[in-house]
Amino acid sequence: MRNDKKEEFFIFGSLTSERKWYILSYLLLLVTSQLSLLTAVYAEPPDRILSLAPSTTEILFAMGLGDRIVGVTNFCDYPGEAKKKPKIGGMSNPSLEAVILLKPDIVIMTTDGNPKEFEERLRSLKIKTYVFKARRLSELPQGIRDMGLALGVKERAETLAKEIEDAINKFKVRGQESAPPHPPLSKGGQRGGKKVLFIIWPEPLIVAGPGTAIDDAITLLDGENIASKAKVPYPKYSIEEIIHQAPDVIFIGKGHIDMKKVSSGLLKRIAVVPAVKNGAVFYISDSLYRLGPRVIEGIEEMAKYLQ
Amino acid sequence: MKKKIIILVILSITIFVLSLFMGPRVINPFELDGIEKEILFSIRLPRVMVAVLMGIALGASGAVLQGILRNPLADPYILGISSGASLSAALGLLSGLYIFGRFTIPLSAFIGASVVSIVVGAFGWKRGGLWPERLLLAGVGLSFLFHAALMLLMSISTDEGLRRAVLWIFGDLSIADWSLIPYGFVFIITGFIISISRAKALNALILGDELAHSLGFSVQRERMLLFVSIAFMTAASVSLGGIIGFIGLLMPHIARFLIGADSRVLIPASAICGGAFLCIADLIGKSIMPPMEIPSGIVTALIGSPYFLYLLRRRDVLSI
Repeated sequence: MRNDKKEEFFIFGSLTSERKWYILSYLLLLVTSQLSLLTAVYAEPPDRILSLAPSTTEILFAMGLGDRIVGVTNFCDYPGEAKKKPKIGGMSNPSLEAVILLKPDIVIMTTDGNPKEFEERLRSLKIKTYVFKARRLSELPQGIRDMGLALGVKERAETLAKEIEDAINKFKVRGQESAPPHPPLSKGGQRGGKKVLFIIWPEPLIVAGPGTAIDDAITLLDGENIASKAKVPYPKYSIEEIIHQAPDVIFIGKGHIDMKKVSSGLLKRIAVVPAVKNGAVFYISDSLYRLGPRVIEGIEEMAKYLQ
Repeated sequence: MKKKIIILVILSITIFVLSLFMGPRVINPFELDGIEKEILFSIRLPRVMVAVLMGIALGASGAVLQGILRNPLADPYILGISSGASLSAALGLLSGLYIFGRFTIPLSAFIGASVVSIVVGAFGWKRGGLWPERLLLAGVGLSFLFHAALMLLMSISTDEGLRRAVLWIFGDLSIADWSLIPYGFVFIITGFIISISRAKALNALILGDELAHSLGFSVQRERMLLFVSIAFMTAASVSLGGIIGFIGLLMPHIARFLIGADSRVLIPASAICGGAFLCIADLIGKSIMPPMEIPSGIVTALIGSPYFLYLLRRRDVLSI
């Protein structure tokens, strides 16, 4: 691209008079510079990508863009190589200076965790941004396709999106086959599936509520998330309500520390619910915490315990 | 005055009972089924007990502290005990050991609170005794320091668990269960008994050191004992349910408004008010938008501050 520009430049220069040459070359420079800007945006894939969320970091790696990532957040720990990338701070408080110093061609952000003002700051500094908008499981494949398009890796994005879509569909079909045709809604408006609770942190009790990928996965697997009526995605939940709602299965997200020890007190107090009585308390990986490629593993892991 | 105290006690017992049977779902004490029994005895009763114990501890130590510092704005947390406890709880978690299992947070909070009490005492110590102004300033200084260190830890830490545990520190009774209550009870009741037994001396101390001395009290010894009682109560209450604001500041003023400034009645009255108030706050926090819960610390401040401002307008309560 840049070589072409030089050649044209010389041809015109040798052919015309000095004054003409001057005007023409100026115009040409103007046009080519604009053109090159445009093409850089739409055709040339950005070389230096900066990811401001663990989920988008995982998607970028899964699309084979790992070597183009120049910076990630302190929370980006998957896959292993992500840990070796330069860090720019947290999701909610990224360092503007660190971002600028890494000279990214494009900064990938999410609507789920990154401050909107930060995007505005970046744009005012003429740094390109791409906002990843998917927040639900069903929106993930399309989100990946859109991002792949913007980053010039349409095919690889399509492959990844298809993979996730297939996994989701597989469970949709399986759920419909294994379960008898849905009984008419019972009085409480509940479906036939098992009642599930996903505990993110036991003390204080924080669970996965509506609008999270975890809630979507439970619904996909024909379960009923008992916390889906709460008003926020990660509610501080009432222990009394758990006992009343009597979940059949309890998942506890594995963290950096020994969750078995941390949650022993809580489980003792809710010992009467069927999940604890029947030993249906499962410690499950954090694959579903991030809306990225690992949701497939997360759903499969959950399916093992639910079906 | 006796009548007022009896009314106060009856009211508090009513609130205690109400918060056992009211809540996100009302429990009828005469028709208990298995699940309701379970909820009543292993969830609500320990929770209400913790609320009462913490309320007593904070109410009483607030009354004592306002007296020994001769400052109407004093609050048991002003001595840095709470921020030291939070910092130590966070450090205990960060060490990654989780040595004491689920007791890690309360235990490290208690250790932190005790160590900080000694440090504050050491800074407040000069010429063979504790001096109110030194104590107050040392407490303020230390709590800024601990708070900053905690914020630093939180901002450089990538551990989600730490963030959630720090949430706990800011006033949450939902973790209450029977296992911690006996320890908390021993420390709080010990502190409470010491403070009541020194109430007469506290009355004298409020009048000034010289006057107290001429009334025949050993000023430094009494102040030391009262300080120890506050340290006991505050440390135990922080490890029972984290930091619940406003009770320590507000309850002594309300009690003073209701029954006067004599420490011998003020300390127990402030304790009873504290216990009842925390029960109500917790009841509201868990019932207002089930199945979610609002941390009690937020509720106490939300309903406490307007009442405090109202009292301030009505009469000159900001005196000790």
